Amino acid sequence: MKSLTSLERFLVLPELLDRVENDEDLLAELFALFQEDLPGSRAALRTAIERAELPEIERVAHRLKGMLANLSAKQAASLAAVIESAARAGDTEKIWQTQAVFDPELSAFSAKLDSFMAGVEN
Amino acid sequence: MKVLIADDDALSRRLLQKTLERAGYEVIAVENGRLAADQICHPEGPRLALLDWVMPELDGPSVCREVRRKRGERHVHLILLTSKDSKRDIVSGLESGADDYLVKPFDPDELKARLRSGMRIMELEDTLLEAREEMRYKATHDSLTTLLNRGTILEVLARELTRTQRERSCISILLGDIDHFKVVNDTYGHPIGDEVLREVGHRLLASVRSYDSVGRYGGEEFLLVLNRCEGDRALFRAEQIRNAIGQIPISTSKGALPITLSLGVHASPGFVASTIEDVLSSVDDALYEAKAAGRNCCRLAGFCAGRCLQRRD
Repeated sequence: MKSLTSLERFLVLPELLDRVENDEDLLAELFALFQEDLPGSRAALRTAIERAELPEIERVAHRLKGMLANLSAKQAASLAAVIESAARAGDTEKIWQTQAVFDPELSAFSAKLDSFMAGVEN
Repeated sequence: MKVLIADDDALSRRLLQKTLERAGYEVIAVENGRLAADQICHPEGPRLALLDWVMPELDGPSVCREVRRKRGERHVHLILLTSKDSKRDIVSGLESGADDYLVKPFDPDELKARLRSGMRIMELEDTLLEAREEMRYKATHDSLTTLLNRGTILEVLARELTRTQRERSCISILLGDIDHFKVVNDTYGHPIGDEVLREVGHRLLASVRSYDSVGRYGGEEFLLVLNRCEGDRALFRAEQIRNAIGQIPISTSKGALPITLSLGVHASPGFVASTIEDVLSSVDDALYEAKAAGRNCCRLAGFCAGRCLQRRD
């Protein structure tokens, strides 16, 4: 899967390929599931942050962390982990600071996945 | 082997499902803890489960606690698979009843190795349960006839007498003795005597209802406990049993042998507080009467026949 290299900035490819046991169909399926879930999760996180609902922030960040970690999106997963632990600690300033980096990271990753998946389909 | 996966994240569920199916497991995937607990607690449910921690309805540790509380004797190997990775979380997860703990994202080889380890534990448990069951069977059954042994049939008798008295119902006890069994042994040898005992045991079992009990009381003596069976009915049942033994000769490796059975019958109504000693003495007397009357017949103990009739009047 040569075109996967376009995702290298976001994903640790050897680890990801190892996890899916080099199954490209499964990988495409996982990307699709992620893209399907992402808009809802991002919106839920934004809303929870705006309302300062710490348990909800922690829950959604935890969920995003798990999905991103499964895809070996290490940087994004680390940012989600920071938001999760900041929510647990009640550190709203850190949540806002991290979200300011995390949300654009998710946008960029999602856009890259879109073009990658369009390439696979074509 | 069936494995249950419980995770509210569809991506994680799909990844796990594919990994495990590829490894030859039959996968049941659910998206919340309530469904997971219900599936695992079902008697035919999976005995291996991978549980996410944070899930709707019930979280992973709550599933572990519920399964440990509800699930019967058979062990279920529960693995928490979560991105909660602090030592506190691991300790808390294991304390909830999980057998193992894996941190997400999982490594496929490690995941499969942990599942194999769980299967080894379950195989060991199965072996121990089978061995225990075999020992229990040997301790409660007569090895020659496979009927209940003396100790067990007496336990059954004691239990049923108590129940009968509590429920004020009626119970009948039959003591059967193979006629002239010594002659069989002396004439044809003990192996043929054993064949006769086995077949008599088989016919006795076939002659009673599923909720009656039959035990080998002594050498060629058999004790039968017939639940909810009154005095006059008991004599009728005893005749049926006597016929089941005597009507058709028993096939042995030295030919067909005509075998007969004498029976003493004791009917114990629930309104009479009978002790096990009273009952055994009474039924033994009745058997002695049957023997004295020429064998191959049944006799009802006079005391209980009178009491049953007296009560009915």
